[in-house]
Amino acid sequence: MVLLENDSFLTELTRLFQKCRTSGSVAITLKKYDGRTKPVPRKGYPENYEPADNKCLLRASDGKKKISTVAYSNLLRAHMDGLKKKDKKSKGKKTKATQ
Amino acid sequence: MPYYQTWEEFARAAEKLYLTDPMKVRVVLKYRHCDGNLCIKVTDDAVCLQYKTDQAQDVKKIEKLHGKLMRLMVSKESGAMETD
Repeated sequence: MVLLENDSFLTELTRLFQKCRTSGSVAITLKKYDGRTKPVPRKGYPENYEPADNKCLLRASDGKKKISTVAYSNLLRAHMDGLKKKDKKSKGKKTKATQ
Repeated sequence: MPYYQTWEEFARAAEKLYLTDPMKVRVVLKYRHCDGNLCIKVTDDAVCLQYKTDQAQDVKKIEKLHGKLMRLMVSKESGAMETD
């Protein structure tokens, strides 16, 4: 699992989409992230991590290659823009079937 | 694992599920260009909601919901975000 910066993540994600055009799927996972870098400690042990409320984890995979990044609030817009361009272009299968 | 038939129901149930426990819920998007379909799943590992589509017009809706959930995840108490 490769952890990348937001820009590299977007680039790699685009590449994943391009690779899977003829076969395979691209899976993107999104989850809220609270800033832990260590596993949850056993009972009785102090848990010391700095709680963060403004981050989320983004992962992408094509079944073989896996990439991930931590997104902050001010970078979400950029991510969604990158994704939209790819999807709109390639999903021309059935547009407006219900005129 | 039920696939919802209407987008409205799915979107409402997804947001509701997320609000019950933001830390547990994850959103998965699976896109297959060769088959021409997109599937979105929202789960907290106990309840699983899924919606599948092959319509380009649904992509925008899925995009919006995905963005909305992302915003919910990164918003602080004060609601400050997108400080670009």
